[in-house]
Amino acid sequence: MTEGDYRHVYIIIEHEEGKILQVSLEMIGEARRMLDDFNKKYSSKEKVVAVLLGHNIKDISGVLIQHGADAVICSDHPELRYVRNTIYTKTIFQIATDREIAAKIEPEYAIQFKRPRYMFFAADSIGRHLSSTVLAHLESGLASDINKLVVGDLQITHQNKTGGKPMTYEKTLEMYRPDFSGFLWTTILCLDNKNPAMQKDYHPQSCSIIPGVFEIIKPDPSRKGMIIEHVPKFDAQDLRVRIIDRKIIKSEIDFDSRKTIVSFGRGIKDSPEQNIKMIEELASELDAQIGITLPLSKKPFSVSQATDSSYLIPDRVIGISGRKVSPKVYIAIGISGAMQHISGMRDSEFIVAINPDENAPIKDECDVFIKGRMEDVVPIMIEEIRKQKQVVQA
Amino acid sequence: MDAINVAVIVKLEPDFSEGNVSYNPDGTLNRAETKNILGPHSAIAVNAAFYAKVKHGARISIGTMGPPVAESMLQYSQLISDADELYLYSDRIFAGADTLATAEVLKSGILKMQGKMDIVFSGHRASDGETGQTGPQTAWKLGMTFLGNVIDYEIDPESRTIRAKRLVRLQGIYDVVEEVEAPLPVFIAIDPSYKPKFNTVSQRLAYEKYQKEARHRAQDFKQYFKLFNAAQIEADPKLIGISGSPTIVYKVERIPKGKATRQAEIIDGSDQEQIRKIVAKMRQSLSTMVIK
Repeated sequence: MTEGDYRHVYIIIEHEEGKILQVSLEMIGEARRMLDDFNKKYSSKEKVVAVLLGHNIKDISGVLIQHGADAVICSDHPELRYVRNTIYTKTIFQIATDREIAAKIEPEYAIQFKRPRYMFFAADSIGRHLSSTVLAHLESGLASDINKLVVGDLQITHQNKTGGKPMTYEKTLEMYRPDFSGFLWTTILCLDNKNPAMQKDYHPQSCSIIPGVFEIIKPDPSRKGMIIEHVPKFDAQDLRVRIIDRKIIKSEIDFDSRKTIVSFGRGIKDSPEQNIKMIEELASELDAQIGITLPLSKKPFSVSQATDSSYLIPDRVIGISGRKVSPKVYIAIGISGAMQHISGMRDSEFIVAINPDENAPIKDECDVFIKGRMEDVVPIMIEEIRKQKQVVQA
Repeated sequence: MDAINVAVIVKLEPDFSEGNVSYNPDGTLNRAETKNILGPHSAIAVNAAFYAKVKHGARISIGTMGPPVAESMLQYSQLISDADELYLYSDRIFAGADTLATAEVLKSGILKMQGKMDIVFSGHRASDGETGQTGPQTAWKLGMTFLGNVIDYEIDPESRTIRAKRLVRLQGIYDVVEEVEAPLPVFIAIDPSYKPKFNTVSQRLAYEKYQKEARHRAQDFKQYFKLFNAAQIEADPKLIGISGSPTIVYKVERIPKGKATRQAEIIDGSDQEQIRKIVAKMRQSLSTMVIK
C-alpha cells in the first residue's frame, strides 16, 4: 500500500425528494472536523466528499458544500429517484472505485487511487442495509451504529492480521459503538491483513453513524466546493424491483405533538402488569404519551397479550435505537439512565426521574430526582395531579 | 407449477426475558449465566416463512451458523414452522467471524440446501449484536435482490413474482410505506412489525394441518437435521472465520459517565408535600406554552 491508494472520506447522503436528512449534514460536520485535524497532523490534503444519488437533485449539492463538503459527487438519474438496493449499491460501488472522479478531486493521486480511505453511512432504515451491501460488494469492513470516531496510529498485535507480530497501522479509524445495554463501548477497527501468509487490503474503513449524535456545522454560503457529475451504469437485471406505490404515514405512536412523555424501564419488574397499568393512569392524567427503554422492547416480562402488544413494542422505544424526543416534561420511571436511552430524551425541557437508586446515572440527567419505589411514588403523584386539577377547576 | 422453496437464516441469541437474562453488577449482560434461544427477530423471519407454507405449501429450509447446542433452537424453529429441512453450519474455524465472514458461511450453506431458493428470509437484526448487516450481506453474496424492512408480502406463484410492503423511516421527515414488486428469487429482511394474517377458512385449515405436522416432526427433528462443517459447505477458508473478517474488536470498555448535564434536586419519594411541589412545577412548565 502506498500513499495515494486510499484517500478521503466518502459520505453517502440521504434525502427525500431533495430534502436532506439531518443525519447526512451531521456526518459531513463530523467528517469536516475529523479531516481538519487529520490534514494538520499528517500534513495532508484529504477531502470531505459527499456522494449524492437521486433525480433532480443538483440544487442540493450547494447545501452540502455550505455545510462542510469539499466535493459532491452527483449521480442524477430518473431510476435513482428512490432508493432501491441493487442499483444504489452498484452506483456507489462505481463511484467509490472510479479513478476519473478521484482525479478531479485530487489530480496528483490520479494514477494511484484505488478506493476511499473512509466511508460513512447513516444508521437508519436506508443506510444500514445500503452500507451492508456496498461493503459486501467492496469486500471491506463495516462497523454499525457508531457514536464516536477517532483517527490514530495504532500498534496492533493480532494472530491473523499481523501474524502475531506487533505492527503499526497508520491513520486507523477507531469506531466506537455502544452495545445494546448502553453501558459498554466496543471499538471496532477495519484492518488490512499485513500477515505475509494472507495479505489483503481492507478499504474503505466504513461505518454507519447514529442520527442525532454529531453536530452540524453552521452553513457558510461563501464556502467553495467542487461538483462532479457521475453517470450511473446499470443493466436490465439491476432494475427488477419496481416501486408501485409510496404512502407517507405517521407513526402510530405520536411523541411529537405531546407536551409530556412518561417512560418506563426495567424498574417495573416487581409487578410489571400492575405497574404498567399505574403508569398508564399517570400518563392519562397528564395527557402524556408513553415511552419505553430498548430492553423493554425485547419483551423481558410476561404480561397480558394486550399490554405486551400495546406497550412493549419497538415503536415506543426512546433512545439511540428508537426515537429522539424533546417534550416540555419528561418523566422517567424505573429507568437507570443508560446512554442508549439518555441520548433520546436529554433535550427535554423539564426532566423528573423516579428511581430507588441514587447512584443511577439518570440522576445526572434530570432536574428532579425522586428517590423511591415507583409503586409508592406514582400513586402519590397521580393523587396530587388530580387534586391540583380540581383546584384550578374550582 | 413448481413448488415455492423458501429458506430462513436464524441466530441463537441470549434470552432477554426476565428470569432468564442475567446482568453483571455493572449493568452489562452476563453471557455465561444467560440462556440462549431462537432470537426474537429470527422467530419473526421463521413466521414469515411459515406464511408461505400455509398459503402456497412452500418447502422450508432453516439454516444457522453456530455451536452444536444450536440444534435445539433449530428444533424449536421446526416446531413453529413445520420446516422440511434443518441445517446447522458448525466448525471451529467459523469462530471470531465478523458479519462479512458470517455472510460467507451462510451463503455457502444456503447453496448446499436442497433445491433452488425462491425466497430467503432473515430477521431484522440480532438482539445481541444488533448490526443488521448479516442478512443484506448474505443476499449480496448470493446475488439475490434484497428487500429490507418488509412488513407484508404476497407471492404470485404463477408469475413467480412477489409484492412486498416496506416500512422506511426517514428520521426527521416522515415514514413511508413503499410497495414494491419483483420477480423471484428475492432475499427478505423482515421488519419486527411483520404479522402474518390467515384470513380464509382454507388458510386456517392449512395452518392447523401444518401445525399438527410440525409437532410430529419436531419430536423427531434429527430426521430432518443436517450438520455441516466448513469443508462440507465448500466455504473458502480465506473468506470465513477470523481470516475472512476485515474488522476486529479492538477494545471493550465501560462508557465513561458523562459530566452531569443537570443538577438534580433530590426528593424523598415518601414526602407528599415535596411531590405536591414537583407536580405544581410540572404543571407550570406545561402551562407556559398555553399563555399567549
